[in-house]
Amino acid sequence: MKLVTAIVKPHRIDDVKDALREIGVSGLTTTDVEGFGRQRGHTEVYRGAEYQVDFVPKVKVEVVVDDGDVDGVIDAIVKAARTGKIGDGKLWVGEVDRVMRIRTGEMGPDALSG
Amino acid sequence: MSVPGPAVSLREGLGALERAYTLGHHGPAVARRRAALVDACLVELFDRAGAPAHVALVATGGYGRMVQLPASDIDLLVVHDDAASIAVIVDALLYPLWDAGLPVGHAVRTAAECLAATERLDAWTAMLDGRLVAGDETLAARAPAPVRARAREDPAGFARRLWDAAGAGRERFGSSAHLLEPDLKEGSGGLRDVASLGWLAAALGTDPEGAGVVRARERAAVDAGEAFLVRARSAIQLLTGRRTDRLVTELQPDVAREMGFVDEPNLLATDGLMRSLFEHARNVEHVSGLAVARVMAGATGGGSVDIGDPAAILEALADAADQGQVPSVGLLDAIEDLAVPDPVAWDARTRAAFLRLLRTGERGSAMFDVLDRMGLLARFIPAWAGVRCRPQRDPYHRSTVDAHLLAAAARMADLLAGSGDAEDPLEVATVAHVERPDALLLGALLHDVGKTGKGGHVPIGTAIARDTLDEMGVAGADHDLAVFMVEEHLLLPDTATRRDLSDEDLLLDVAARIGTPERLAGLYLLAKADALATGPAAWTPWRETLVRELVAKVQRVFDRGQMGEELAAHLAERTERLRELLHGEPDDRIERFILRVPRSYLLAVDPGRVAEHFRIVMPPLGRNEVRTASTAGSRAGTYEVVVVASDRPGLLSWIAGALAIGGISILAAQAFTTEDRTAIDVFEVEGAFEPEITEARWRAFRSTLRRTIEGSISLEHRVREKGRHYPRPRVSSPVTVRALNDVSEFSTVIEVGAPDRIGLLHDITRTFADLHLGVHLAKVATFDGRVVDAFYVRDELGRKVTEPGLLAGVESALRERLET
Repeated sequence: MKLVTAIVKPHRIDDVKDALREIGVSGLTTTDVEGFGRQRGHTEVYRGAEYQVDFVPKVKVEVVVDDGDVDGVIDAIVKAARTGKIGDGKLWVGEVDRVMRIRTGEMGPDALSG
Repeated sequence: MSVPGPAVSLREGLGALERAYTLGHHGPAVARRRAALVDACLVELFDRAGAPAHVALVATGGYGRMVQLPASDIDLLVVHDDAASIAVIVDALLYPLWDAGLPVGHAVRTAAECLAATERLDAWTAMLDGRLVAGDETLAARAPAPVRARAREDPAGFARRLWDAAGAGRERFGSSAHLLEPDLKEGSGGLRDVASLGWLAAALGTDPEGAGVVRARERAAVDAGEAFLVRARSAIQLLTGRRTDRLVTELQPDVAREMGFVDEPNLLATDGLMRSLFEHARNVEHVSGLAVARVMAGATGGGSVDIGDPAAILEALADAADQGQVPSVGLLDAIEDLAVPDPVAWDARTRAAFLRLLRTGERGSAMFDVLDRMGLLARFIPAWAGVRCRPQRDPYHRSTVDAHLLAAAARMADLLAGSGDAEDPLEVATVAHVERPDALLLGALLHDVGKTGKGGHVPIGTAIARDTLDEMGVAGADHDLAVFMVEEHLLLPDTATRRDLSDEDLLLDVAARIGTPERLAGLYLLAKADALATGPAAWTPWRETLVRELVAKVQRVFDRGQMGEELAAHLAERTERLRELLHGEPDDRIERFILRVPRSYLLAVDPGRVAEHFRIVMPPLGRNEVRTASTAGSRAGTYEVVVVASDRPGLLSWIAGALAIGGISILAAQAFTTEDRTAIDVFEVEGAFEPEITEARWRAFRSTLRRTIEGSISLEHRVREKGRHYPRPRVSSPVTVRALNDVSEFSTVIEVGAPDRIGLLHDITRTFADLHLGVHLAKVATFDGRVVDAFYVRDELGRKVTEPGLLAGVESALRERLET
């Protein structure tokens, strides 16, 4: 099993959710996050008042999937999150040793489905 | 067979009591019966322990007050004057209780230790509830007497400690009077507040009614509140089997059912439960708060106050709020004695006093609460009845609608008073630009007034706000701004968190909807006041950053004159005209088209032409497909042609090149790009040698362009060849190039002036393509043999070009290409 983590633009999150639902992903976690990558902090100005914006608001999406589903999930997220402009985000995949559904104690892929 | 001990009998007795009533009906009488059972057990245990002399068994806390709840601790104080033997006695008393699994909270103190324990307020108040159950009466009298005396020495000081503790409790537990998961014991308006009236009585040496700090009507409301709270809290404990006092969401349906609430139209059973609970808890919070404040301020007693009319009520409360005073018993009596019409007819005095209350912020909100407790707020604002004590079911809100509205108005007053957040420069700058603070206060007070359980709260609320402001006699610009605040209060937070803030048309649309910088400033302050009044999750740095980004960008749209009230009206008029022209097309298709095309396109191109473009822009476009449509131009011999194709780097240069090759001169051009990257380029052209441009020539043009897009031919060489057949420019004037970064939010504007010649537009745009710059928007015009062009360019990542080296490179590349 794999943990797919993506950092996406806030306004893309609904499309990402829809795209994942469409390919049968039944559960995901989202978190409002702030950070920076190439799109560094910048100075913002409103009517002469200047202030520093150090972190850019993004949404983090985490999905645990069976190994065979990883490519489909990556594809769905990337397609839904891409705008072609700077700041579209990042995605990475990591190994997951164990997954358990807390209510039933089911382990592994069984804990992911349904 | 051994006779069961008294503790076991007690447990059985308590069990029988539990079964004797349904879960939702364990009120004060049952609590009293429970305490009596405990009394009997303790008396017997005390006897069995040999009824030791110089020991007194005192019931404290809730048990002392005869309000013993199903799972609450049995609070005991063992008073003694013999340290040597007391341990054995206490063991004999408590072990049987512990063994029987009964929860006991106990303290063992000498009289002197009792007095010392008053340092801790909770120990002090528990002892003020003290009641002798068994043992040495003299000792029992000797111990509590100084404890009471200490409170009586300085009732105001004692009340101050209660006030501070209540404040700390509110911080920690919140308010039972409007929080959606209230703590019925410790929360503000909970049973602790009920008990505080008893503690005040001890400090005053008489009951609070007699001392003139609580009115009879208020006492009755608290008694009813206590009965309800005891029932609800008992139900929670019986349902969970635990000593828990918080009415969490999961428990609410069961508690509602047990207490006899059923679903009603527009009000679920759980909401009905919560609404009743809030009503009671508010009374408790209100009366106990007033009583403590009155004792603290030494403001006891009636004192006659003259209240002549409804306006005078608001004036008296506004005076009290201005001076930071608690409304006196006399004042509230006078208010209640006045026959207040329902609804109140507003006049200038009413309005002035009402606005004064709003401007005082938190203290003013507290006065509105006082009015509400007396059932009068809804007479001043009839719409208030729809939101009173109404729970909100969403992940953010922690309060009822009316409490949230009062809190939002108070926050707005704080923001406007400039007492705000130095960390937020936007707050400071927006406040500085507010011209109509009263309208913003009214907008904050009414922003959620449409949450009446009947559907979409914004349109409903806007209509209610309009009527309410009319009733108040608020007119003119204040009226309009306040209604606008209600109507658009979600615009900034919703747009900031859900839409693409790098979409220029979105910013133009938001700016068009808002219209003026003052309204923008007002909406920012309302978004912030609303979120701060909602709960801790609503105004996170994450949300704040997004909302501020949107506000700063929209302000710059105003600053540049890209949008304003006039332009917004013009855009609306053109859009409306377009809808008329497209009459007969499906509405959703028309709206999709309007949303899709750039605002600059709708503003620049005549609606009649746009309606024609609709037909070639809307059908799905193949990757390499090129569409054109031409009509007669603005003067004889000219044509207007629109070229539609999927946008890609260099497209404009190819179109310009293909036109040049076809012998078509460009007189003017406007190139637009939709957010989904479709190019809509509009040209005013004429035939260079053969004036007539037939459909065959257009077909040839489309074919050249398509083959260029496909990569099967290269234009560069052919355009240069074509140029040789044409005469050199008639006028020789210098090439000018200027890069501007403050004209547009997302593009660098490159202005180019040069003598006109065939292929010029191709050469300019080819230069951009070579430098990997995309042309997002272009305006090309020819005056007297000279072209004056403006290109809105972005780099490969869709950003402005800000790097000085690159800007200089653009300039020199253009000069090099155009000057040779």
